[in-house]
Amino acid sequence: MAQQANIGELLSMLDSPLLSVRDDVTTVFKENLNSDRGPMLVNTLVDYYLETNSQPVLHILTTLQEPHDKMDTDVIVLTTGVLVLITMLPMIPQSGKQHLHDFFDIFGRLSSWCLKKPGHVTEVYLVHLHASVYALFHRLYGMYPCNFVSFLRSHYSMKENLETFEEVVKPMMEHVRIHPELVTGSKDHELDPRRWKRLETHDVVIECAKISLDPTEASYEDGYSVSHQISARFPHRSADVSASSYVDTQNSYGNATSTPYSTSRLTLNTPGQLPQTLSSPSTRLLAEPPQEERTDSARPCLHRQPHVPNDRGLEELHGGKGSVTLSDLPGFLGDLASEEDSIEKDKEEAAISKELSEITTADAEPLVPRGGFDSPFYRDSLPGCPRKTLSASSSTQGTSANPEPLNSSLDKSGPDTPKQAFTPIDLPCGGTGESPAGNRERQASLEASILTPSPCKIPPQRGVGFGSGQPPPYDHLFEVALPKTAHHFVSKKTEELLKKAKGSAEEDFTPSASPMEVLDRLIQQGADVHSKELNRLSLPSKSVDWTHFGGSPPSDEICTLRNQLLLLHNQLLYERFKRQQHALRNRRLLRKVIRASALEEHNAAMKDQLKLQEKDIQIWKISLQKEQARYNQLQEQRDTVVTQLHSQIRQLQHDREEFYNQSQELQTKLEDCRNMIAELRVELKKANSKVCHTELLLSQVSQKLSNSESVQQQMEFLNRQLLVLGEVNELYLEQLQNKHSDTTKEVEMMKAAYRKELEKNRSHVLQQNQRLDTCQKRILELESHLAKKDHLLLEQKKYLEDVKLQARGQLQAAESRYEAQKRITQVFELEILDLYGKLEKDGLLKKLEEQKPEAAEAAEERLDYCQDGCSDSVTGHNEEAPGRNGETKPSRPGGARGGGGGGGRGGGSSSELSTPEKPPNPRAGPFSSRWETVVGEPTSGTPTTVGSLPSSESFLGMKARELFRNKSESQCDEDGLTVGSLSETLKTELGKDSGVEARAPLTLDGPLLPAPKPDSVGQLRIMDYNEAQLEHS
Amino acid sequence: MTEDSQRNFRSVYYEKVGFRGVEEKKSLEILLKDDRLGILPPHHESHVQVMTYRKEQYSDVLHALKVIRFVSDATPQSEVYLYMHRLESGKLPRSPSFPLEPEDEVFLAIAKAMEEMVEDSVDCYWIMRCFVNQLNSKYRDTLPQLPKAFEQYLNLEDSRLLSHLKACCAVSTLPYELWFKKCFAGCLPESSLQRIWDKVVSGSCKILVFVAVEILLTFKIKVMALNSAEKITKFLENIPQDSSDAIVSKAIDLWHKHCGTPVHSA
Repeated sequence: MAQQANIGELLSMLDSPLLSVRDDVTTVFKENLNSDRGPMLVNTLVDYYLETNSQPVLHILTTLQEPHDKMDTDVIVLTTGVLVLITMLPMIPQSGKQHLHDFFDIFGRLSSWCLKKPGHVTEVYLVHLHASVYALFHRLYGMYPCNFVSFLRSHYSMKENLETFEEVVKPMMEHVRIHPELVTGSKDHELDPRRWKRLETHDVVIECAKISLDPTEASYEDGYSVSHQISARFPHRSADVSASSYVDTQNSYGNATSTPYSTSRLTLNTPGQLPQTLSSPSTRLLAEPPQEERTDSARPCLHRQPHVPNDRGLEELHGGKGSVTLSDLPGFLGDLASEEDSIEKDKEEAAISKELSEITTADAEPLVPRGGFDSPFYRDSLPGCPRKTLSASSSTQGTSANPEPLNSSLDKSGPDTPKQAFTPIDLPCGGTGESPAGNRERQASLEASILTPSPCKIPPQRGVGFGSGQPPPYDHLFEVALPKTAHHFVSKKTEELLKKAKGSAEEDFTPSASPMEVLDRLIQQGADVHSKELNRLSLPSKSVDWTHFGGSPPSDEICTLRNQLLLLHNQLLYERFKRQQHALRNRRLLRKVIRASALEEHNAAMKDQLKLQEKDIQIWKISLQKEQARYNQLQEQRDTVVTQLHSQIRQLQHDREEFYNQSQELQTKLEDCRNMIAELRVELKKANSKVCHTELLLSQVSQKLSNSESVQQQMEFLNRQLLVLGEVNELYLEQLQNKHSDTTKEVEMMKAAYRKELEKNRSHVLQQNQRLDTCQKRILELESHLAKKDHLLLEQKKYLEDVKLQARGQLQAAESRYEAQKRITQVFELEILDLYGKLEKDGLLKKLEEQKPEAAEAAEERLDYCQDGCSDSVTGHNEEAPGRNGETKPSRPGGARGGGGGGGRGGGSSSELSTPEKPPNPRAGPFSSRWETVVGEPTSGTPTTVGSLPSSESFLGMKARELFRNKSESQCDEDGLTVGSLSETLKTELGKDSGVEARAPLTLDGPLLPAPKPDSVGQLRIMDYNEAQLEHS
Repeated sequence: MTEDSQRNFRSVYYEKVGFRGVEEKKSLEILLKDDRLGILPPHHESHVQVMTYRKEQYSDVLHALKVIRFVSDATPQSEVYLYMHRLESGKLPRSPSFPLEPEDEVFLAIAKAMEEMVEDSVDCYWIMRCFVNQLNSKYRDTLPQLPKAFEQYLNLEDSRLLSHLKACCAVSTLPYELWFKKCFAGCLPESSLQRIWDKVVSGSCKILVFVAVEILLTFKIKVMALNSAEKITKFLENIPQDSSDAIVSKAIDLWHKHCGTPVHSA
């Protein structure tokens, strides 16, 4: 108990909003499940799930492991499982695909089971099992023929299975026809989801039924000829029950049994719904309702407890399992009488609703009857039951619970329908009015039958249902309501019933009874036995729940009975499922029928309309003809008017044309006149001009005339004058001949003289002119010559310049070479002097060794000094030079080898000093050295001349002497000084001032203008000449 | 102008495209012919004679030095040139072991560079001799003014750099001797040096200033990074040689920019 409470708490915690708590609890449960192998916890969880639909619990249950989901060999469980499987297969054709081989395995095993009968299974159970296996065979063959046949082929090709095949499977195969899929389909095609998409659950069921040859299973649709001879009752029942299972909200049976409470959650598409929804209240009374058990855990569950759940799907089945008793059957059968009523109403309602409002709720309808059917506890609604949880969808039940308002609503809506061709509304109302009362009676009898189950009740019930074979009293209403369908339905039904009546006679001659049939018989017998047994029991109360009253019935018997009851209940549930599917189908077919009839009606109406319209059309045609005639008349009238008008128009046009022609003619005439006028005008002008011209001519002629007259006069006058002058001339000629003298000779002489003189002068002039010409030519020649000369001169000058430059370049090169040579010699001299110094030093040292040591020291000192001077001479430390020279001078004569021995430098300076015109000057050191290099170079070969005056052979020397001689007459004109002449430069420079300052320009000029060679001097001369020429020109 | 007319007529296009110094090697030869340095007279007829003079003079002087055992065959060529020059200018020391004067260092640096440029030793000696003479005579007055000009142009180009140098007191310690006396001999590779010396021989010693400025501009980042005068001087004395051609080209550009065309700069 404590544990139970604890679990209850935990369970409530499972739904806590806190995720952590939920997880904790889940782990606790899982641990418990792992440790505890008993079914208790699992059962509790299942209960809890069924109550609350808690997701975490579902999660835990789906993750259950080994010890809780073990195999079971109990036939009851197996049968139940198989039936559930068969029920579910059409619902999950696609998702069951992957377990197809499991299904086949199940079939194989169970079929072998049927034969081998393992354990202590009683024959009675095996019948049930066999029936369910048979159903499974049908289902599998119907749904997956190719796969199933291939499975059969492979499975029963094995030798060990051969017997099973022969005994069990082969008889089953006698009840099926060849599936068309075996010919047209394939294994893969069967599993194609598209195949299943088109089919609903009941379609699948019917598909399976179609291939069955077993009258209890087979379908009557589509002209499948099924032999109905075997059983009159069951096919009938299956058909009717399936129809009645779809009792609508108006269904009296449904109303009577339904309660506002429904296990809606369980009914919604869970497999477990089926037993519960189909379990009638009476069965609930017999077996303790599972809901009650769950809430009241103190009472152990009767049916659930012994069965350890072998399948999760089956677990949920437990609640409703085993609660079917045989008494159900009479109950149901007893209801069959009212079922037709309900069918009828169903049809009516469907027809009405269709006509009223296009059956839009058709899809939702199937749910409603399920809920409506589901009425387990309308009586046992105990306080404390968890009914509160089952409320969500019960509202639909609430509406369906009350038939009257709905009927009345239908009554109200009935008159509103536009087409009142038939009047089904009133009559069904009467029917419904009847039915509740009938239902109530039936309910009472049903209760009675439950309380006192007796097989005797069945025949009367059946008698009411179909035994009579007559249609119910209100069958005729169909014909009014749905003329065609009703007739069809009724005729079909009667036919079936007749057939069955016949078939029942032939029942025993069937070659091999189907398992269903066997089961049916068993049930029938079992019911008899049961009732007898129960009667035999001397119980104070005839209640089913005798255990409560302390009775001790033979446990074995009761147990088997109970089990049988369970099995039967299962079977029943299965059958009910089938019925449901059939009902679904039926509804659909009915809907189709109704739709067809409506369409027919519509067609008739349309035809009427068509006729009316045709009449209209005829009327219109006649009027059209009339109108046409009128129109023709009018047209003719119009035509005549038009022709008249046309002729008028034509006439008018003709007139117009005439007028037009006339006007045209006139216009042309006008034009002609105009032209004539213009021509005349032109002629007038011409005439005028002619007149003018002639006038002018006339005046001219008159003038000329006058002129000629005057000229004639003059001529006459002149002629007269001529005559007079001729006379005068004759007179003068006479006078002249008279006057001739001697002066002519002298004049002639003079003339001749003048002429000669003139000629002379002319020749002279000619001569002079010729001379002048020659002179001029000469001048020109000379001038051109001069120009040439000038040009030549210029060229020569250029050439000379060029040559000068060239020479200068060469000269410079030579000079630099010479300079270099000088340097070289200088260096050589230095070297030589150095070497001499060394030699001398050696000699002195030797002498000094012989003579006094003091003198030797002094000499050594001197020599050192001298050497220092020599070495320093190049860089020019010349300040000390004069002093040194002064000192060394006296010692030099002492030197055996003359002036050269005193050292190069000293010698140089001394030679300079010795010249009379250059007195020793301390500042003249550098210059003197230059001088020495310039002047002393030619004499470098002869050391003896060093120190003397420049020799007469040397050019410079001669110039120098000249200089000193002409000291007084040094004032020369500076203008005559030429650039290149050295002598003159020297003259002027030295002549100006013989002082120390005068040496600077000289020495500066020295290296620049060294002594020129004779040929170079000549060149310079030419240059001078050239310059002189330039000056002259 | 004479130079302009003798230039390669394509040089204008080359310069447009960015090739510079196409004819600068050639210009050196032209300069030699033009007697910028006074080695050969402009007259072709006297070239042979003058050249023989020059050769003889060279051999004479060399002979003299050999005679007095101043040089031997093992003496480096640059030193030979130095002694020859000294001898010719009358300043030959008493012995080879005499310590070198600063002038001699300059000469040696130039001689080493020139040695690389001219193959024939006679030509080399003469070009070098005249080049040095030109430096000592023609540019005697301008060379000392170059550092000031350098500062001025550096200020124009990059006053920040100059201020940095001033801040480091490096202005006075910059390698002016290397730049302006040795004319970058030993500082830049001969190929670049040729182009600078061309300008110098042609009469513009200002190009030296611009080369110095350009060196500083090129290595500005490194110089800016250095903070002490010694380091800067040391770095500038040993600048990397790979970008020398670019430096010279930029320096010539700079020269053109500040002094206009080469004609004016002379």
